[in-house]
Amino acid sequence: MTQRVSRAILIALFLGMLGAGIFAPYPYARQFRDEIAAPPARAHLLGTDPLGRDRLSRLWYGGRISVLLAPAATLLSVGIALLIALASVILGRWWERGVKTAIDLFLSLPWLFLLLTVRGLLPLNTPPAASLLVTFALLGLLGWPGPARVLIAAAERQAQSDYVLQTRARGCGAWRTALRHIAPNLAPVIRAQFWTTAPAYLLAEANLALLGLGIAEPMPSWGNLLRELQNPAVAHDIAVWIPLILLVITMGCCQLAEPIEEASL
Amino acid sequence: MNQSFRRFAGAGLRQGLMLLLTLTATAMLSALLIGSAPGIGMDERQLDLRLSERSIDAIRSRRFVTGVGAYLRDVVTGDWGVSISLGRPVRELVRERGGLTLKTLGGGLTLAWTLALGLSLILEDLHWHGPERAAALLAGGLLCLPAAMVALLSVRLDLSPALALATVIGPRIFRYVRNILAAWSRMPYVLAARARGAAGLALVCRHICIPAAPELLALGGISAGMAIGVVIPVETVCGSPGVGQLVWLAAMGRDLPVLIHLTVLVAAAVSGANLVCDALRAFLERAT
Repeated sequence: MTQRVSRAILIALFLGMLGAGIFAPYPYARQFRDEIAAPPARAHLLGTDPLGRDRLSRLWYGGRISVLLAPAATLLSVGIALLIALASVILGRWWERGVKTAIDLFLSLPWLFLLLTVRGLLPLNTPPAASLLVTFALLGLLGWPGPARVLIAAAERQAQSDYVLQTRARGCGAWRTALRHIAPNLAPVIRAQFWTTAPAYLLAEANLALLGLGIAEPMPSWGNLLRELQNPAVAHDIAVWIPLILLVITMGCCQLAEPIEEASL
Repeated sequence: MNQSFRRFAGAGLRQGLMLLLTLTATAMLSALLIGSAPGIGMDERQLDLRLSERSIDAIRSRRFVTGVGAYLRDVVTGDWGVSISLGRPVRELVRERGGLTLKTLGGGLTLAWTLALGLSLILEDLHWHGPERAAALLAGGLLCLPAAMVALLSVRLDLSPALALATVIGPRIFRYVRNILAAWSRMPYVLAARARGAAGLALVCRHICIPAAPELLALGGISAGMAIGVVIPVETVCGSPGVGQLVWLAAMGRDLPVLIHLTVLVAAAVSGANLVCDALRAFLERAT
């Protein structure tokens, strides 16, 4: 029951954010210079920010970016991890050892530290669209070691199972066995990794944005909108807290939508 | 006895070699990464029209990453270079800020572990569904908050950075500790002890905590790594002038000499913490 409700909320949020262009009353960057930091009113249901932009519109567009791109980055990470796991089954022990050493190396650096360092190495004064791509591509490209470790172990277990031995005995090649027989059987592990990784990326984006290394203005994301809370002059306004409430609801639903006994360390 | 000691020492040697390999590889990778970063080696002073051609040539010829070999030699000899944005030796900056970060990390980890372990032990002893669910809900709720947001709230409430750190990593530690203790409490010998009337914290400590100690120690190493990651947003948002804040300043200012050395330092700290925890776990397993 809880699982169904959580999934329903997530789907509703996802669809709602997809329709930002329809539901949002104004473009996210439009400034109303006569209504700077205005309180909630009929024209602006959540008021305007200190630059005179409609908060509801920014919340909607920001949600679209966060809710679409965090799963996209997760798919990239899990996709890379799956390829590495299948390659370890096909290419044998030397590849597997090399990959495991690389994973240990990656995991010896805390995730947020790695993200900040690599983000710092890239140019910071990029256009908003480029910063959006850089942020989520970084999340996707640096997040593969965790899922890869789990998927390699699962692929190894599958490779040693009877049905794989039987397919090999019948003359099925290594690539075909990996793609046609092992990969589909990894689906539950892939799903679990997706549900573990996507919320972590939502949080990582919010952390990066709060530290000023996220998506560039004026493009909104939930993380960018949380930056308004750093301004004590507007922090008392309940409308400023709505992105945080939405983020917490999304994170909570992600935790409940796919209960995982042993969350990955 | 002698043979088991030799095996223990061999494992320790292997772990030490792995640590050395990790650090060398991290240093080489970060040097390579920094060498290929866009805009590397460019200095805004090159555009200064007041400088002579010779001065500009001198600036242009000054490269702080001259190669992996030279970099490793500098690290070993203690020359960590000079920060571009702060204009001070990196070693001095790290020494100056390290104490505060260690204090924040120590305080945060101690508090998080005390709360997580204490709450888990109490819940294990009581076996009440209500408090169990409430604790799971609280931990789940706190896990939904970004670390920087928790730090921001701690600033608003005038709380210390160590407390913010404990609030971020405490729920994670609690979840893992709770799972480990719950798994051990389902062991047949624990069920038998309960059936014979054994109860209370003595049962939990003696029959659940002590056998689970190796797993808890492994978690200790992982939690140290988590805390080092979390200390960056916490110190940055709380305005605490530690190494975490230095990482952020270096990332914002593209201060590559600082970033490269801090990467190696953080890798050493995380690997070292895991090594110590692994050695303690091996020792404990050998003793029991």
